[in-house]
Amino acid sequence: MKSTLRNMVVVLCGITVITALLVAVVNNMTKDAIEQSKINAKNAAKFKVVGVDDSQAYVSRDTTRTIGDFNITVSTVVSKADDSIVGYAVEAPSILKSGYSDRIYLMVGFVEREGVTSVCDIEVLSQKETPGLGANMEREDNSLIRSIVGRDMSTVVFNVTKKDKDATFDALTGSTISSMAYVNAVETAYAGYLWATGQLNMDEEAIEAAPSGASVAHDDSYNEEPEAQKGDVDNE
Amino acid sequence: MSKLQIISKGILKENPTFALVLGMCPTLGVTSSAINGMGMGVATMVVLIMSNISISLIKSLVPDKVRIPAFIVVIASFVTIIEMLMQAYVPSLYASLGVFIPLIVVNCVILGRAEAFASKNNVIDSALDGIGIGLGFTLALTAVGAVREVLGMGSIFGFTFADGVMPLLFILAPGGFIVLGYLMVLFNKIAKR
Repeated sequence: MKSTLRNMVVVLCGITVITALLVAVVNNMTKDAIEQSKINAKNAAKFKVVGVDDSQAYVSRDTTRTIGDFNITVSTVVSKADDSIVGYAVEAPSILKSGYSDRIYLMVGFVEREGVTSVCDIEVLSQKETPGLGANMEREDNSLIRSIVGRDMSTVVFNVTKKDKDATFDALTGSTISSMAYVNAVETAYAGYLWATGQLNMDEEAIEAAPSGASVAHDDSYNEEPEAQKGDVDNE
Repeated sequence: MSKLQIISKGILKENPTFALVLGMCPTLGVTSSAINGMGMGVATMVVLIMSNISISLIKSLVPDKVRIPAFIVVIASFVTIIEMLMQAYVPSLYASLGVFIPLIVVNCVILGRAEAFASKNNVIDSALDGIGIGLGFTLALTAVGAVREVLGMGSIFGFTFADGVMPLLFILAPGGFIVLGYLMVLFNKIAKR
């Protein structure tokens, strides 16, 4: 078709309006379903990470703490039969270290056996890492999860360097930054667990001093703070 | 050209990756494993078929000078709609393909076919072209991904067959270039026979 200013404006505006309407209709149609599928995934992860298959026999009691711009939600999974605590599912972001593209959100399950707290399982709730590299953190049996699950959390060093293989975790192949963010999310979740079980005092001053927003991405100067908090807990 | 020829030329003679050398960003970026390559290929094929059909339908209404922006708006809308529908109704598939879908908007295979074929042919032929080119793109990405995964991780489609240290180079970007180069030579050698 021959181009004139009038028909170009009319056609472009027409196409834009029609496609915008289509997108708006589909968005309206799907937004509830998208929200629901996110909630379903989160609820399923809550029970899975503490090793519970049948969620009908268990309930979770949720508490949320806000640190800076971030929420840490601790779900205490309790058996309906005898009201005993099965474990703690903690939803936490990688507050101190961003991944390659964005922060990583995990659901980490902590269980207590004979006075020792260890990670039972981990589910990735949200990540935008490189497919085939950092995104491998979503794989069921990756090297990072293998090196975290079952370890006594009070003795580990939350890092992925290989200087001290006994204390640190194994990074995903070719994805050190993603792995460090993942481990930081586990560390944040562990702080949430300690807070929920009364072993860590997250008072107002600590919350105000906590970093917020993207400005802390890759800022190692903040690393000292969680270590200091963990040290306080160890001393207790 | 027969209907079958329209499909087969997309796979061999006009293979978007190995013959036309289009869509190199996703080819190198997401083919670190076979399943990633296949996922990207299938998602692209769906968008390609739909965009070819709609562009073929509106081709006579769009003035020549605003063809490209009009096509981009149509393609971007389809990609957004598909992303939302997948996220809502097939969340498990979205979880595995989700990262690839926004990349499809900037895939020049789609814009290239809209401009070179769909804007000059009827709806049926444009849909068949979408199927052929989509299949060619999927097969090429799966092949590149499979070779990189075998050499770099000792596995294929997630099934590990070789334990131990594998050359990480093939999973990283330089390995993508190397594998693509050799596969391109192999493909063109076979295609010329």
